[in-house]
Amino acid sequence: MSSLLSLRKVGKSFGGLSALSGITFDVRPGEIVGVIGPNGAGKTTLFNVVTSVFPPTAGEVAFDGERISGLPPHAITRRGITRTFQNIRLFSSMTLEENVMVGRHCRTGAGVWRGVLRTPGQRREERGIRGKTRELLDLVGLSGVDRERTAGSLPYGHQRRLEIARALAAEPRLLLLDEPVAGMNDAETQDVFGLIKRVQSLGVTILLIEHDMSLVMKACDRLVVINFGRKIAEGTPEEVRDDPQVIEAYLGAAEGDADA
Amino acid sequence: MEWLNPYHLQVASFMLINAILGVSIYVTLSTGQLSLGNAGFMSIGAYTAALLSTQHHVPIPVGILAGSLLAGMSGILVGIPALRLSGVYLAIATLGFGEVLRAVLINWDSLTGGAVGVAAIPQMGRVILAWAGDRGFSPRSLGLQNNQFISLTVFLVLLLGTVLTVVFFLRLSRSRVGRAYAAIRLDESAASAAGIPITYYKVLAFSQGALLSGFAGALFAHSTSYVSPGDFTYHRAVEILVFAVFGGSEHIFGPVFGAAFLTVVPEALRSISDYRYILYGLLLVLVVIYRPQGVIDPALLRRLRRSGRETPA
Repeated sequence: MSSLLSLRKVGKSFGGLSALSGITFDVRPGEIVGVIGPNGAGKTTLFNVVTSVFPPTAGEVAFDGERISGLPPHAITRRGITRTFQNIRLFSSMTLEENVMVGRHCRTGAGVWRGVLRTPGQRREERGIRGKTRELLDLVGLSGVDRERTAGSLPYGHQRRLEIARALAAEPRLLLLDEPVAGMNDAETQDVFGLIKRVQSLGVTILLIEHDMSLVMKACDRLVVINFGRKIAEGTPEEVRDDPQVIEAYLGAAEGDADA
Repeated sequence: MEWLNPYHLQVASFMLINAILGVSIYVTLSTGQLSLGNAGFMSIGAYTAALLSTQHHVPIPVGILAGSLLAGMSGILVGIPALRLSGVYLAIATLGFGEVLRAVLINWDSLTGGAVGVAAIPQMGRVILAWAGDRGFSPRSLGLQNNQFISLTVFLVLLLGTVLTVVFFLRLSRSRVGRAYAAIRLDESAASAAGIPITYYKVLAFSQGALLSGFAGALFAHSTSYVSPGDFTYHRAVEILVFAVFGGSEHIFGPVFGAAFLTVVPEALRSISDYRYILYGLLLVLVVIYRPQGVIDPALLRRLRRSGRETPA
């Protein structure tokens, strides 16, 4: 089966410090793949390499069969990969609606002159952007919130959802979620689980970084485990859960091993 | 028609030129780039228009267009290396650019007339009066003196230029491009993750600011009929910055208000001559302390609009 995203021996070092090395795995269309690992393992660095916040120092990333490492971030978004951030990065003084509208940027085209002259085509495009925005706010469960509120004034859980709506506005084929339920209670986590499943049912493939193991086990088709910048395991949630190396990474070595 | 005195009209004309300069710094700032090179770009527009009309007898509108475009193109050339800088570093580099340009104007005697500058630039009002006079029109038919008519036409031409500029950038700020500018200002990485090509829009905004400064400069040359390097010192650069700091830089009306207000205040206070700049300075300090975002911000405009709706005329 052909893969949507494929990483081949991807490495990233900052000066002499190696944050990722030899990472190889594939994400197939329609899957939800979880990336787990202890804090500092390199999970967010992996997202940053895939979205070209910085290029990999070794190996390559391919999307839909084409090499994407080295492209600028906006070009990656345009190709169909969008993301959310671990520490939410909304445009806080913009309204709810405007945040999502910004996400439509790469799927629309009105430039300076059409924007200023408000040509019929440009007005049609703006109507389309607003329509899509309402649809997405509805999808993430924010349709009841005043669209004119500024993003910064929203409660935390709403901000996470708004960020997902903005990421979806670019019509991604692959969505990268960086700890979407961090800091949420069980009920909120359950809601986000539902949202992730709805997004998957729309045909979006998802790569998910998450520490909440109950969510990861429930939501993901496959898991990739990273520790100290290296992949230590890959497989179904059940396989990974029983993998001795994974248990060691999370819980430390068993006493018998430590003596050996 | 006594009230239409050329002095008042001239103050009003400077208000409008300054308003365009205020918009020029606002446009660049709306992508988070602080440029203090706008006095320099203004001099490009002013000298281009002045030299084209005095030495090559190019019609005024063509000269203004050429001056604006040349300033805008210089903006692209300065804007690309400027991408590497941000915040105060960008401010200092662009300020340096303006000063270097002024040194060129002073020393390139054969082209620019050196420190003396360019004189006898065709003045818009006089040219329009001469043109209308050839067709049998006399200001007296409107009950105006010649000098009143001249000042009035300059004012009206500048008013048209200012209104077009403000409408242009107001509409731009509410379009896809304006949202991209705002996104870049608020969070560059989030903007690029949202699919916005940062480099393109930063250079675009920078050159739009430069083009507007050039436009203001060209209008200035044809209003005063005399330009010299002394008109484009760093004092001018800082003055333009103050329009945005005082009036506010989050909405286009901020720097427009700042420019208009700060042009009128020193003139209105002429009666207390010696103390007027003390008052001017005090005003600035008070605004910076009590309203750091500037007098006008989007929240204030929203409040005004709402109270306007609640009290129908």
